Amino acid sequence: MKGFELYEPTTIGEAVETLNRLGSGAKVLAGGSDLVSGVMKDWVEGEGMPLPDALVDVTTIPELRGIRVDENGATIGANTTLTEIVESAELTSQYPLLTESARSVASSLIRNFATLGGNIHQRPRCWFFRGHDFDCLKKGGDFCFSVGGDNRYHAIIGSDQCYIVHPSDTATALLALNARARIAGPEGERTVAFDDYFVSPGEDILRENILRDNELMVDVFVPAPAPGTRQSWIKLKNRQVYDFALVSVAAAFTEENEVWTAGRIVMGGVAPVPYRATVIENQLQGANVRDTARQAAAQIRTVARPMSQNAYKIDIAQTLVERTLLEALA
Amino acid sequence: MESRVDALRVVQDPAYAAGLTDDQWRMLSDDPEWNLMLGEYSEMVEPIMERYAAKLGVPARGAAPAPRQEAPPFNVIGRSIPRLHGLGVVTSLGRYVQNMRMNGMLFTRTLRSPYPHARVTAVRTEAAERMPGVAAVLHRGNLPPEYRDVRLGSGPPNRYLFSEEVFQVGAPIAVVAAESEHIADEAIHRIEVDYERLPATLDMMEGAGPFTLKQWDNAEDGTIVSITPPLVRGNPDGATAEVTLDEVLTKSTEQHLALELTNSLMYWDQDRLIVYYTTQHSHGSRNALSQALRIPANRIRVVQPGYMGSGYGYRAGIDLSEVHSAILARITGRPIKTMYTREEDFVTRTHRPEFRNEMRLGVDRGGAVRFGDFRVFANVGAQRGGGANGAWYGLQHLYAIPDLRLEATDIFTNSFRSGPYRCVSHPNGTFALEMMMERAADAIGMDPVEFRLMNLNEDGNIETGRPFSNPGIRDCITAARDRIDWANVRHATRAREVSPGVFHGVGMAAHACSHGGGTNPATGQVIVNSDGSVQCVSASNEIGPGQRTQMAMICAEALGVPIEAVSITEYVDTDNTTDTGSTTGSRQTNTGGRGIYEAAIDARNQLLRYAAERLSDDAAQVSPDDLDIQNGEIFVRDDPSTRLTLGNAVQTAGFSILGRAVYRQDTDWQRTAWAAHAAEVEVDTGLGEVKVTRYVAAHDVGRAINPFALEQQIEGGVVMALGAVLGEELLVDAGTGLPVNANMLDYRALSILDVPDTIETILVERPKAYGVFGAHGIGEPPMAPPAPAVAAAVHNAVGVWMDDMPITREKLLTALRNVR
Repeated sequence: MKGFELYEPTTIGEAVETLNRLGSGAKVLAGGSDLVSGVMKDWVEGEGMPLPDALVDVTTIPELRGIRVDENGATIGANTTLTEIVESAELTSQYPLLTESARSVASSLIRNFATLGGNIHQRPRCWFFRGHDFDCLKKGGDFCFSVGGDNRYHAIIGSDQCYIVHPSDTATALLALNARARIAGPEGERTVAFDDYFVSPGEDILRENILRDNELMVDVFVPAPAPGTRQSWIKLKNRQVYDFALVSVAAAFTEENEVWTAGRIVMGGVAPVPYRATVIENQLQGANVRDTARQAAAQIRTVARPMSQNAYKIDIAQTLVERTLLEALA
Repeated sequence: MESRVDALRVVQDPAYAAGLTDDQWRMLSDDPEWNLMLGEYSEMVEPIMERYAAKLGVPARGAAPAPRQEAPPFNVIGRSIPRLHGLGVVTSLGRYVQNMRMNGMLFTRTLRSPYPHARVTAVRTEAAERMPGVAAVLHRGNLPPEYRDVRLGSGPPNRYLFSEEVFQVGAPIAVVAAESEHIADEAIHRIEVDYERLPATLDMMEGAGPFTLKQWDNAEDGTIVSITPPLVRGNPDGATAEVTLDEVLTKSTEQHLALELTNSLMYWDQDRLIVYYTTQHSHGSRNALSQALRIPANRIRVVQPGYMGSGYGYRAGIDLSEVHSAILARITGRPIKTMYTREEDFVTRTHRPEFRNEMRLGVDRGGAVRFGDFRVFANVGAQRGGGANGAWYGLQHLYAIPDLRLEATDIFTNSFRSGPYRCVSHPNGTFALEMMMERAADAIGMDPVEFRLMNLNEDGNIETGRPFSNPGIRDCITAARDRIDWANVRHATRAREVSPGVFHGVGMAAHACSHGGGTNPATGQVIVNSDGSVQCVSASNEIGPGQRTQMAMICAEALGVPIEAVSITEYVDTDNTTDTGSTTGSRQTNTGGRGIYEAAIDARNQLLRYAAERLSDDAAQVSPDDLDIQNGEIFVRDDPSTRLTLGNAVQTAGFSILGRAVYRQDTDWQRTAWAAHAAEVEVDTGLGEVKVTRYVAAHDVGRAINPFALEQQIEGGVVMALGAVLGEELLVDAGTGLPVNANMLDYRALSILDVPDTIETILVERPKAYGVFGAHGIGEPPMAPPAPAVAAAVHNAVGVWMDDMPITREKLLTALRNVR
């Protein structure tokens, strides 16, 4: 691993000040399961993605950690571990979707270390991006190896030059729950809805979200769901532990006598960002969910553009959306 | 004088074999690659052993005395005994090389080629050398001259310590020795290398093409390494049958994923090299280092501590890194710790090769197999390697096929090198053969189990007439059939939908392979101390199978002492042991175990001699033949009250008893492992998912020495094999030749949650004439049947034939699209 300097601020202000001073050569470190034991250990670097010279450890900042739930919703500190989220009875009672998505991450060993902020901001999955000898577009190179290469796990929706899939299970669930992020920066705080949080390759191929180099995610606010909101999470993995989503589906919606009134369906593993399947939501609007689930799920075919080896992911996505909707009603 | 011999060329190039000197034949016997072939590739070495038996010290058929036949009742054999060193394995009490440290040691990291085929034109190491903490950088430019022509394995093409022309991604370019792993890792990133890129061949069948660029002076087309002379039985060209099936079946490249990474700790003690190493064959590693460093074998000491995160076949000798480390230890005068990265373990070591099988099978509607015409291709990767004809074993021996032709072609590619992986080629042969048998049974509308039972070969090698010893294949098939309740769970194709879109299926596969019979050398020592305690000394490397527990049991039984009285060293040290072959080829029960058995018998004979001396007096002479040993006591058979402890017998001798093995395996039998597996699956047609819901594995183990250990071996083998059935395949990018999933996340070995809750094992005991107490080895045979058994079950469930392993969602959903 390349050598680096380590900073251990104890306040958000100090962290932001440090990040601002060090500039793009510094990265925020929390659990480190992706940044250190993934990106840095494997020398995932390129002209547009230099390895950090400094890490700013934010686990030394107490105020970034913790879960607070009131009648308006839940506020979860960015440094809260996934295990803490899974074990929070308050979260589980109101946001089973979030609990289940967090529980489906990696393994209990990793969940004990990995934080919510880290899970949302981990770098994407693509074995060319992750391979140190592939100088790909996303690292600042001039070629996407997935187009002509083995793309069985790559994106089927919404790609533009780059076919990564967004890796975060919690981000997928939080988008379905209409969450928003509080961000601290040199100019103060700002709040960004998850609707606007993720950046597609077409907008900026070098990044996956709007967080700037000198900013820090402070916490995530999840509004209290309307009474009776149906929630369900299904994550399909090729291996039951230590695996990312081949396809995941987060559904959160309200219904009256099983007729869809409002809600969201968000998919992971299919697109460079957590993908909100409005095309399916629209089909369900005012319809009986149970009766329409299959037909609505098939709408994914109208937006999916498979690559040479991943058309099967469309079949899987369709099946999973249908099963998630039916499971939510169960 | 050429100080080595190219073992692969001996079997692949008849002219080369014919030209070997006596000295080279001796070197061949010591060669780790040859030893590995003895264990793993009997198909390759048997013709040579037959033709050059005298040169190799192989007894002719009938020339070696038949081993003693032991009959029950037994005192120790057959008991389920927990692993003697098990606590060390599952805790940190066991000493693994990975955890060993020495004061002043340096760590290495290797810079490796990112190109599959290139010429290295310049290596600039100045920036790395200037880094604080870097002790030395070794590369082509500064390699001491005496090592410049050192190479490993067989050529051509040759693998030098640092080749100018590199044939593989991962070929070593430079090695840094530094004060910490991180410094070494950062230093290799400061080395600049100029490459001239050369055209690479990544696709196996492209390598076989007549217009493919040759990469060495090659008499064959393209990058074909070797075409085995075909095996022809009867008249395969003229044979006809009522139904003929033509299919192509393929398997992907697999890697072992041993949990402990390959690693070593070595230093020079004056003129001796001391090596702690993750090896399956301490003596093989010593011989390889002796060849490479050009120093006598007795000036190298290889210690394998007995605790090792397995090996599965790829750790029998050494690789280039071990020679680099030895040289760096000499140059720096400090201990060198070398720990492969996971990616290096994945990429630079060996793999079960990719296979392609072009199969033609003719059957009559009554169920008789008429002919087979089978052609096997193996991708041996960037080396002179072999593997294709290893798939022949089952094709040749499992069924009595009157007219048969077997062909085999080994093809070089600029990719993953092939080698043993808990077997090499038999799983491929069995997959191809059993899929053809399933298809044939389906085509003629016959029950596949009945079809198999009707066509079994239970006699022996049809070509040589060498018989099987008490073959248990019929028992295995019927036992697996009955346990899975075939009559009730088998149904018509796609006839049982267990929930919407999810279908049940059941399938079976049979297996015959050469592994487990034992080879030479088979040596061992048994020491009986004056307190009557017994210790076994063996060079049989423990890498996970637990064979040393069985060896202690064998000693206890043969000597007549309780198992508690016997110890066996966990480690192997070449300084005080004699070679007893690598822990490969499922051979250690009948190799290291055979050595210990014979040594125990030798010790027993000595003890009885001294006991007879002691018990004799002027009144009565006692002969050793009058005596027996049971439960650690020597007694007169006709007068059991006249008895003596082992310790008293030793005391009479005046020194500890040392029993040693003098043994040569006979060549009288076609030593064969037999198995049949049955699997039930549920196939989710919406998600392309195969779930194995029940698994039954029946194996002819000859004699169950330790049923507990056998069950562990069989369960472990099935789990490993299911990984390769359901997803494991090592992929290479067709454009760059770079590996894409050489890590534990993307190379998806199964987790404990992905395997069936229970794997039911059935131990069929049909004692073998050649076996220690009748036993036959079991390490590798469980690896083969899962692929065809699960594929057969998938066909029964949903009606698609999964001809390309592994069965991925992508392939299954694509196949299902065509039948819906």
